[in-house]
Amino acid sequence: MKPRINVIWNEIYCKRCLICVEVCPVQVLSLERNEIEEKDGCIRCYQCERYCPDIAIEVMDEKGRG
Amino acid sequence: MDRSYKELLKLRRFPHTWCPGCGIGAVLKNVAMAIKELDWNYKNTVAVSGIGCSGRMSGYMNLDAVHTPHGRPLTAAETIKTVRPDLNVIVLSGDGDLGSIGGNHLLHTSRRNPNITVFCNDNEIYGLTGGQAGPTTPKGTKTLTSPRGEPYSPLRLGRILTQQPPYFYARTSVYHLNHFKTCIREALLWKGFSFVDIISDCIELNGRRLGFKTAYQMFKWFDQRFHIVEGERDHLQEDELGIAKALVEEVPKPAEKIEVKPEIPIESLKPFTLEELQQFDGSGGKPIYIAYKGKVYDLSGSLLFQGEKKMRCHIAGKDLTKDIDIAPHGEDLVFKFPLVGKIEG
Ligand SMILES: Cc1ncc(C[n+]2csc(CCOP(=O)(O)OP(=O)(O)O)c2C)c(N)n1
Ligand code: SF4
Ligand code: SF4
Ligand code: SF4
Repeated sequence: MKPRINVIWNEIYCKRCLICVEVCPVQVLSLERNEIEEKDGCIRCYQCERYCPDIAIEVMDEKGRG
Repeated sequence: MDRSYKELLKLRRFPHTWCPGCGIGAVLKNVAMAIKELDWNYKNTVAVSGIGCSGRMSGYMNLDAVHTPHGRPLTAAETIKTVRPDLNVIVLSGDGDLGSIGGNHLLHTSRRNPNITVFCNDNEIYGLTGGQAGPTTPKGTKTLTSPRGEPYSPLRLGRILTQQPPYFYARTSVYHLNHFKTCIREALLWKGFSFVDIISDCIELNGRRLGFKTAYQMFKWFDQRFHIVEGERDHLQEDELGIAKALVEEVPKPAEKIEVKPEIPIESLKPFTLEELQQFDGSGGKPIYIAYKGKVYDLSGSLLFQGEKKMRCHIAGKDLTKDIDIAPHGEDLVFKFPLVGKIEG
């Protein structure tokens, strides 16, 4: 699995509802083999974090950490 | 990004019980954020819930919480607010709980206007029990109990709660996030009964039957059905998201007319002796005078004496100081009549 550069994902809290995947304006998130993956190009808009009903995804505060 | 709202959630109980994509998680999270922003905490805030999937919310709040019988969160909340007005009281519950079995409490609690805030997760269905049509299910919706489409019109919570001031009714949705946050915040700050009707998704037991594959598809459907209206509103149409609020209309009291009688200096009053006074007993068309505390008043205009000869004889032409002082409001009554003279000596 590719490391996630901008988002932290909590696989225990996550219920794979795909809201983050669908809300991301640049479609960099996807569910691959039951895990949320992040492709290149995140614009750090925080939409995934704001919409996740399970507090399972967070955008890292400093760019490039992880 | 400020994530301190997590202090208000019992994260050790996460992942929470709701289905993937259920809107209740969003309600819980955003209410927690707003409470944290206002610096409310476990010491000054109580959360109350009823029964249903939505009713599980208070159990995830790091606050003193009450999980009441079905339909009764408002009764508990109003009671808490009555005995402990220093506490902030919030209600987290569902449209079925608040609108159908608890509908009567909604009518009367809102009427009494206690300072509590209600967050109603309005998923237009009975979620917990398996997807039966509830009070807010739109007409025509296919549900477990209405496979050919719900035949009845829904309860219009917005109309009921805005029927007479004071009121605060906001309708928002879990998709219209900024609007949602504004409504939560304004409702928490409102002094009096405030109600936030949050259009939310029950993807598992409502959405799927309606043909939606994901919660986000339902969000898009909310976006088609509703639009945000800005500014101060008295009422909301059924397809509008916004805030309808009104304060008590203060009826201005008519200012009491106080007639100021010009003070007549006692020296300029006409002097009467008690014998002279006796002449004015109303007989033969004469005026009726009485004396009170050394002054003479003309009682001819009094209804008491119209035609009543007996009464007239009893009172007219006499010094009534003693009688009037023991009568209730006697003095005020006498002062209404014209002052015509003073008693000599
Ligand atoms: C006295 C009583 N009657 C009926 C029930 C069954 N019941 C449990 S939850 C519920 C409906 C809840 O609907 P809603 O408030 O919309 O919550 P949701 O599950 O949709 O979030 C009903 C009818 C009950 N628990 N108690
Ligand atoms: S929105 Fe949250 S719970 Fe849903 S798939 Fe994304 S991370 Fe998981
Ligand atoms: S921060 Fe914005 S761009 Fe980045 S993954 Fe989340 S939604 Fe997509
Ligand atoms: S049944 Fe519906 S309301 Fe209940 S948790 Fe699942 S999606 Fe949410």
